[in-house]
Amino acid sequence: MKSFRFSKRTSDAIAGYVLLLPFLIVLVTVVLYPLIQGLYMSFHNWGIFGDPVYVGLDNYRQLWTDSNFRSSLWHTLYFVLLTTPPLVILGLLLAAGLNYPFRGRTAVRGMIFFPYLLTVSIVGIVWRWMLQRNYGLVNYYLGKLGAAPVGWLAEARTAMPSIALATIWWTVGFNLVVFLAALQDIPEELYEAARIDGAGPVKSFLRITVPLVRPTTMFVIIMQVIASFQVFGQVFVMTGGGPYGSTRTVVQYLYEQGFRYFRMGYASAIAYVLFFIMFVLTLIQWRIMGRRGQ
Amino acid sequence: MSAVRRKMSWGRVFGTLLMYLIGILWVLPVLWMVSTSLKPESMITQAVPRWIPEVFTLSNYQGVLERASLFKWLLNSVIVAVGATVGVLIIDSMAGYAFARVNFPGRDVLFMMVMATLMVPAQVTMIPLFFMLNEASLLNTHLALILPRLGVAIGVFMLRQFFLSLPQELEEAAAIDGASRYRVFAQLALPLAKPALSALAIVTFVWAWNDFMWPLIAISTQDMYTLPVGLSTLAGYYGREYGIQMAGAVIASLPVFLVFLVFQRQFIQGIALTGLKG
Repeated sequence: MKSFRFSKRTSDAIAGYVLLLPFLIVLVTVVLYPLIQGLYMSFHNWGIFGDPVYVGLDNYRQLWTDSNFRSSLWHTLYFVLLTTPPLVILGLLLAAGLNYPFRGRTAVRGMIFFPYLLTVSIVGIVWRWMLQRNYGLVNYYLGKLGAAPVGWLAEARTAMPSIALATIWWTVGFNLVVFLAALQDIPEELYEAARIDGAGPVKSFLRITVPLVRPTTMFVIIMQVIASFQVFGQVFVMTGGGPYGSTRTVVQYLYEQGFRYFRMGYASAIAYVLFFIMFVLTLIQWRIMGRRGQ
Repeated sequence: MSAVRRKMSWGRVFGTLLMYLIGILWVLPVLWMVSTSLKPESMITQAVPRWIPEVFTLSNYQGVLERASLFKWLLNSVIVAVGATVGVLIIDSMAGYAFARVNFPGRDVLFMMVMATLMVPAQVTMIPLFFMLNEASLLNTHLALILPRLGVAIGVFMLRQFFLSLPQELEEAAAIDGASRYRVFAQLALPLAKPALSALAIVTFVWAWNDFMWPLIAISTQDMYTLPVGLSTLAGYYGREYGIQMAGAVIASLPVFLVFLVFQRQFIQGIALTGLKG
């Protein structure tokens, strides 16, 4: 009896590692090793030709004084601020509106969600066309309201808000789906009771929906901030970081340094600063998620 | 339900109309893309835009297919997305099952470690990966695009949660019948996990399909571009030829549109389960 139990435990242990092995090998190869290698690279002047030269913390020191890097941080923060509130609030409002039964509800959900499935370059080229100065649809309809045409993506003042607008159109459907899942956990009786008490839709939204989806809202906010912080594709396709670097975000700058000028060590340092920021944001998220679990 | 119907207030009517309006607003850019793609170039840049083209033409489609290797890019995207999806399903289901159901020393520590890697932004590993794949002469290959996708731990987490929710008695019964761990996994647990697997499959497929930054870096020749990267170059080459660009965009959206029509439910489920952005 005793030897049987022992052998089962051993065979279980073997089975566990055998089943885990393929994933662990990949994880070590494409995540853990590169993670350490990246840190190592960030302490070097690392180009595509010639041997890397150890420079200690110089890359980080240089980042601290690099005005382009600083401005890219601000641009990223600006983008996060432009996109997060609308994406969270609109996502929740749309989810609430699409949680009520009405004819064609599934179709409307699909219509709002669909852009999320489009690849970022489609989003980019469609919005470049929509926002085009002379023949763009946006300027045409604004012109009907009496506004002068604007070169949305060509002017530093409007370029980032335009990218933010395209992003909101693109990804709000994702938050909508996450909020919908949370709304479906709220018992219908609560709304029923509120209705009997004479509460209108606005009141029951504010008094029932908002407090009860709070944990989801916190989760969505953090996920959104993390996603927005890593913005790249929209910028790359719509403006390429211009005009005059006014939409150059952290990841765009990392791309330019690493893969246009092949300053791999410097780009690695940028990546690690980004990682640090993400890390702090994720810790905050875990705190909140932990609280949600209780 | 009848009570709901009876209480159909003006507020509800207004709310419903508002939802219709927003839905229409949201598809307008897509409709405009299709409309533009069907117009001759001379009618695209008109002072008064028309939603329904006065003259329909397929010349933009012909143009984009002649000048860009769209089908080649499409094929590359299919290979990469399918490869990543199949790979993720295999290794993640094995790992997810091990974490959920098999007792082995160090399991919980390993699981914490795997979950911690979810915090690593993709941009951090991109630069070293570029070097590693370069040294292995794997840059500019499909494998270079598939491999990094396989290291994303979210699927392991998702499937572990699913396997945890299965009743333990099933496996105990099988174990008493003398079935090995591997057989229980392959013949019992895996078939039961179909809903979770299909949700993970569809989410992985779309994320791999839409991946942009990594293929932009890892691919250097035109014939190896995936659709997203190839399309982004159209904007550069044919900056003012919007008809060509829109035709390319329409062709590139079609496969995703079809996948969405067929798998809408699984996709929504996948997002609700992972709650993560690509």
